[in-house]
Amino acid sequence: MHFKLALKLFLRDLKGGELTILIGALVIAVSTVTTISLFVDRLEQALFRESATFIAADAAIYAPNPIDEAWIKKANSLGLDDAKTISFLSMVFSSRSQLVSVKAVGADYPLRGQLSVTATPFESGSPVGKGPKKGEVWVESRLISALDILRGDSVEIGLASFEVAQILSSEPDRAVGFESAAGPRVMMNISDVASTGVVKPGSRVTYRYLVSGDGNALEEFERWVRPKLAQSERWISIEDGAEGVGYALKRAESFLLLGALLGVVLAGLSIALAAQRYALRHFDHVAILKTLGTTVRGIDSIFMIIIFALCLIGGFLGVLVGFLAQATIAGILDPLMPVELPAPSFHGIVLGLVTGFICLFSFAFPPLLKLRAIEPVRVFRRDFSGTTVSGLLTYAFSGFGILGLMYWYSENIELTLFLFSGAIIASMVLFFVAYLLLQSGQLMGMGAGSAWRLALSGIQRRGRNISLQILVFGLAIMLLLILFLVRTALISEWQASLPKDAPNHFVLNVAQIDVDPMNNLFEENNVRAEPLFSMTRGRVIAINGEPIVVKDRLGVEESAKSKRGARGPRFSSNRNLTWAQYLPNGNRVIDGLWWDLNYSGPPLVSIENSMAERGGVKVGDTLDFKIQDQIFSAQVASIRSVAWDSMQPNFYFIFSPGTIGQFSSTYMTSFFLEKKNKSFLNTLLRYYPTITLIEIDAVIEQITSIIKKVTLAIELVLILILVSGAFVLLASIQASMDERFRQSAILRALGASQRLILFSLFIEFAFMGVLAGIVATLGAEITVFFLESQVFELDYSPHLVLWVLGPLSGLFIIGCLGLWATRKVVVTAPSNALRQ
Amino acid sequence: MRAIGLHKVVSTANGELEILKGIDLEIKASESVALVGPSGSGKTTLLSLLAGLDTASKGKIYLGSNELTAMNEELRAIVRGRVVGFVFQSFQLLGSLSALENVMLPLELKNSPEAKLVALQLMDKVGLTHRCAHYPNKLSGGEQQRVAIARAFASAPKVLFADEPTGNLDTATGRVIIDLLFELNREFGTTLILVTHDKKLAQRCDREINIDSGELIEMET
Ligand SMILES: Nc1ncnc2c1ncn2[C@@H]1O[C@H](COP(=O)(O)OP(=O)(O)O)[C@@H](O)[C@H]1O
Ligand SMILES: [Mg+2]
Repeated sequence: MHFKLALKLFLRDLKGGELTILIGALVIAVSTVTTISLFVDRLEQALFRESATFIAADAAIYAPNPIDEAWIKKANSLGLDDAKTISFLSMVFSSRSQLVSVKAVGADYPLRGQLSVTATPFESGSPVGKGPKKGEVWVESRLISALDILRGDSVEIGLASFEVAQILSSEPDRAVGFESAAGPRVMMNISDVASTGVVKPGSRVTYRYLVSGDGNALEEFERWVRPKLAQSERWISIEDGAEGVGYALKRAESFLLLGALLGVVLAGLSIALAAQRYALRHFDHVAILKTLGTTVRGIDSIFMIIIFALCLIGGFLGVLVGFLAQATIAGILDPLMPVELPAPSFHGIVLGLVTGFICLFSFAFPPLLKLRAIEPVRVFRRDFSGTTVSGLLTYAFSGFGILGLMYWYSENIELTLFLFSGAIIASMVLFFVAYLLLQSGQLMGMGAGSAWRLALSGIQRRGRNISLQILVFGLAIMLLLILFLVRTALISEWQASLPKDAPNHFVLNVAQIDVDPMNNLFEENNVRAEPLFSMTRGRVIAINGEPIVVKDRLGVEESAKSKRGARGPRFSSNRNLTWAQYLPNGNRVIDGLWWDLNYSGPPLVSIENSMAERGGVKVGDTLDFKIQDQIFSAQVASIRSVAWDSMQPNFYFIFSPGTIGQFSSTYMTSFFLEKKNKSFLNTLLRYYPTITLIEIDAVIEQITSIIKKVTLAIELVLILILVSGAFVLLASIQASMDERFRQSAILRALGASQRLILFSLFIEFAFMGVLAGIVATLGAEITVFFLESQVFELDYSPHLVLWVLGPLSGLFIIGCLGLWATRKVVVTAPSNALRQ
Repeated sequence: MRAIGLHKVVSTANGELEILKGIDLEIKASESVALVGPSGSGKTTLLSLLAGLDTASKGKIYLGSNELTAMNEELRAIVRGRVVGFVFQSFQLLGSLSALENVMLPLELKNSPEAKLVALQLMDKVGLTHRCAHYPNKLSGGEQQRVAIARAFASAPKVLFADEPTGNLDTATGRVIIDLLFELNREFGTTLILVTHDKKLAQRCDREINIDSGELIEMET
């Protein structure tokens, strides 16, 4: 081990700037991953907590019967916090009467989120710590108007009488479980339920058992209790509480993940380039050392020590920078967060360090491997490269490294292989295209001024190297373009899915005779409402005459295997069916055709795509439905994708007009109401006291603000990746510096002016930039098409501006960056350059 | 040192090229030998084979009782480190080490504790004590070659190979370098194998070996 010598060489290289780019690239790799994983981790935890408020817990069991004491014991023994609620429908009496949805809560409710109350109906409330005391009830604003009572009055429920102590303005898990939302809310203490005498065996009651606490304990409880759940009992996780938020966040996470991946690839590229250059510049060193008697093992030990020192410095600086960047991002976002960001976990730091090491070893090792194979005769013949390490081996090394990293991040072998093989194919195509473009470029510039000829002859002479460099430029620009395009598509999709006037109130249980008058009421008050949809309960019992039981078994078995599957929709459950003349907003036909405006033929049905997939249903199949004890058949006319995060009435099954008119049904709609017009709800409820009104404006506000924050996070990550991209370009330019130095020194020695050399350098880089831009645009379009349609489930449309922007930005970025990086070439005295 | 039937064949774009066509020679210990011949005759190639920097296509080389041609690169490296020293036409100093560090290098590679002491003495002998901390690119060609000579003797080699050591230097500087080389050579009792174009320089050696187109034309002086 030549420890001292290695250290000496390392320190000297460090001082001499030989390692700056390499360390920089390493720091970028480590810090990108550290920043993103630390931040994503914190964001995930924060959003988990926020999402938890939608079910007032981290998880819950909803059951029609009282919760088994053994389950409660188990939860308590695992150290979980718990709370119980009981919900049921009942009549409430004062001078008037009203069907209400009662929820009785214990002292610990809610475990997540907050109840808030107000003194004046329809005002936004202020949070309170606990639910109603024994003997009192809290009621929603609209019950105040429906019953024509005041706060402090008393009301009767069943056999008991209660004081109306508070006006309830919001409860965290109000929107979950529509079945219990069939009337205004009355909240009472759980110990008062018995005295009302309303809850008897056989009455429709939902018992909820809420739990919260440590993630591992929660998982253990879920594993333990899930198999014990009966058909009618449901395990509710936070994903069930906030579908819209869930969708948005899943995509944001995918994006950040993609960002981290691309960041690592970019950093890997610059590490490889920098290491390549480092190795090249040490060929002579190694030859001399070998001449002086250093063995191959000695050379190995020297460069292993150098790599190790690099790891230490790069890793340390990277983690430091990553931690600071993450803290800065969190610092900016913190005031916007509804819940406090949890402390960063150690995991992100480890991830960053390991990434750095893998990056360095898989990208820097191959070039350094060439060093050990240098033959000492090189001291006589400089151009004698004499490397025997196969190129394939070294590429395989980096290939495996990056593949492993990609899989490690995404934990998704499909996405990994898809992206990886895509990148390889893209690289090969890009290399070929760059080569072709280069050939054509040779013809184009002939006979032009001498700076042009100089530049083009330089390009011509190093054709293969230049193609490679264009490929690297192109790849870097392409990755940045991809990230930028996906970001833009994501953000605009979110903005489109939650427009400012998105419906924020749902009305259910509208009677048939009220449909027209209610529409009139909306119109008179300038309330923009969606059309009223009929709602009839029913379920599919057969596909093409084949009873559904068998298929559903399969579905159940499948869902038992994969956790994800268990959350998907069951094909044969009872669902709300509707009919429609027009394709509802936010729906898109992806197979088959939507029916004509005046269609009046045999019954047709349009089915949502995830449901169609689950049932294995295709366009043209016949489905038998059981609706109100009658069998009813319809042919599948189309399959739709539904924007579930659009907060509009959405249906799995939609029939053609008139087809299910013979069944009795209620109607539903949604409408948008500004906060200042909320008193319209009073009017609406006074006219139609039996309807169910669900206010989701608070939820939408919450989602909008979350998305704003996530958007900001995405922008910040984009900036981070941009820095990595710039680094790749720098490293790549740096890699060709030595030759440029020598060449320009000779030219200047021969009397070429600085201006001539600078201009020819600019032309050279600009030319490469334009080619790289074209190549990058092509690659980005193809990749973004696949990413958007496969991973992010967005609508793809070509980006025509890109075809101008890509090459132009290539020209300016590469041209200017190249000129800046090589500015020294013309400033250094030619004698210096020639002496080196 | 002995070479028997040495051949070197390389493959080029235009087929095989035979650079050395069967060389036999013997060099005694402490002898100084000049290797003379026109450019492209194969001098450097022969030198690199004798020094164990390259492998012969055919033939045997003995260094003392050790057969160099039977060794692998690993063993040859050890031999180079122990008994062989080099001076090159293009100096070949490590640009990232100072002059003194360059001279210390062979000793440090052997983990010698006296590296610095010996190196300082040699720097004094070549008259560059005041340039110890300088890096090679700040030194003139003559100074660089003096550092290279100091480095070559640092490991007290049994055989010193010098490939046109004055080829990149002016006549005056070249003379200084050659004086220095012979002086140290005498002091250390080293076997010297010197490649040169310079007739006068060749005459200063004990013996002259002529090579042309890869073949020896031996003449006694
Ligand atoms: N590895 C090689 N590949 C091709 N040609 C070589 C190689 N090594 C040497 N030569 C050729 O062999 C001949 C002898 O080279 P060399 O030993 O350097 O000659 P000298 O040092 O006498 O000038 C030259 O023509 C040179 O071009
Ligand atoms: Mg020669």
